[in-house]
Amino acid sequence: MALPLPPGLTHAEVSFLAEMELVTVVPRQRLESIDLLGGKTPALRPPHRADLPLWLALLLKKQRRANIVPPRWLHPSSLAEIIHRETKETPLAFSEPPPAPARADTANPGYAHRQGGQQHQRQQEQEQDGPIMSAPFRPSCTADAPAGYLPYHWLEVAEALLAHAGDDVASLAASSLGEVRGLLRDLVEVRAAKMRSSTAQLEGFGGGLMLLRGVGAMELAESRGFVLGVVDGVRKIGASAEAARREMEEERGGEEGESDEEMGL
Amino acid sequence: MDIDDILREVDPTFHAIPQEKRDLQELTRAWIAERSAPELLPWPANGLFERINSNIKHQIEKVEEMTGDMDPKTNFALIVIQTELERYRYLVRSYLRARIAKIDRHTLHYLSTDALRSRLSEMELAYATRHQALLHNHYLSSFLSSFPPNLQNLNDASAGISMIEAPDLESAVFIRLLKDASVAARGVDEDDDAEMKESDIVILRWSDAKPLVDAGSAELV
Repeated sequence: MALPLPPGLTHAEVSFLAEMELVTVVPRQRLESIDLLGGKTPALRPPHRADLPLWLALLLKKQRRANIVPPRWLHPSSLAEIIHRETKETPLAFSEPPPAPARADTANPGYAHRQGGQQHQRQQEQEQDGPIMSAPFRPSCTADAPAGYLPYHWLEVAEALLAHAGDDVASLAASSLGEVRGLLRDLVEVRAAKMRSSTAQLEGFGGGLMLLRGVGAMELAESRGFVLGVVDGVRKIGASAEAARREMEEERGGEEGESDEEMGL
Repeated sequence: MDIDDILREVDPTFHAIPQEKRDLQELTRAWIAERSAPELLPWPANGLFERINSNIKHQIEKVEEMTGDMDPKTNFALIVIQTELERYRYLVRSYLRARIAKIDRHTLHYLSTDALRSRLSEMELAYATRHQALLHNHYLSSFLSSFPPNLQNLNDASAGISMIEAPDLESAVFIRLLKDASVAARGVDEDDDAEMKESDIVILRWSDAKPLVDAGSAELV
């Protein structure tokens, strides 16, 4: 019964994860709170908005029990802004991920703090709070999510919303679905080109770190095999060179240590 | 539910994440990590799986109770509960299967030292020990018994080369930082040391990423 898949999430697994993203729905029927394994769902009372996981929202949508409010970043103007940023302002980097959700600081009333900040006080509190939440459990696809930032599961969520809640997306944008689709396609291509050009950086991958800030889950899944294969290959080819360099550095470090002692004497 | 729970619900300053959601986050993170890491990761020690298993059991009992109910409203709730149950169980199943795949691959390695043994859960340890014994007995009865006695072991480490295969701890992985942290990584031509920001995604070697992941300042993606 062992899992026969190679390491690293597959596309299907990434889509499965994306279905856990919270989205905002406007219910059309009352529905009592349901006690689920992942926590209680909010009681649905039309026309009050509620945040639900995507899989549940799609189920409600299919049964015409609710409408989905698309996140603000899916708006054509937001997509156009992101494309502009990706092509003109930072033609080499992916656009910034959404900022961590801010909360009121209970210790200092009036101050807001963000998840993952450097404040030590925060971190202590975080430990009491349990694990730090990350995608898909951050509310980055709800109606409150900021425009102009692509969340980690942007492509999967956008595809799912366009496929199953196309009328809702169209009503939000007050434009044709084709426009949103076209902009998304452009964005996919712009970013795929960046992913490809980042492989040029891999060619001479001599350092130990490579930063891909703002990359999406699907884009990672797509190029994971290739990128990790190249990084591992470069490491294996350069293994002897690396060992020799380490030895030299160690020797040099030793000599420096000795000379320091001599200086001290 | 007592008075404290009620107060907590209406208190806007108390923003604790409910236990169920925390468990789901931890389970998901453990699953992603197990699917991406080159070696077997420690079995969660905080009773996560005991909690999850008893929750699943309760939920199944609830489904069985509700199936008798013919009311259309309960019917829809039942569909939602069953869908979620299946999703949850898929996560658990996939996590356990990913672990078994790693144990199967390097059984002797994970049984070789106490530190490595402690990463396995009780069930996994029993499975690994018995599976390995069966396999060795099979080898012995089919061909190993005709070898000289000093060549019948499977964990021979003489002549400087160990027979026990170990996972490659230097393989590259993707991690995402959960808080600002400094990341040190070894490379072929040079070693890097950089201050990284929260939600940065980085490629580096697993052996360099492990301390960050263990400390909870990063997660595998």
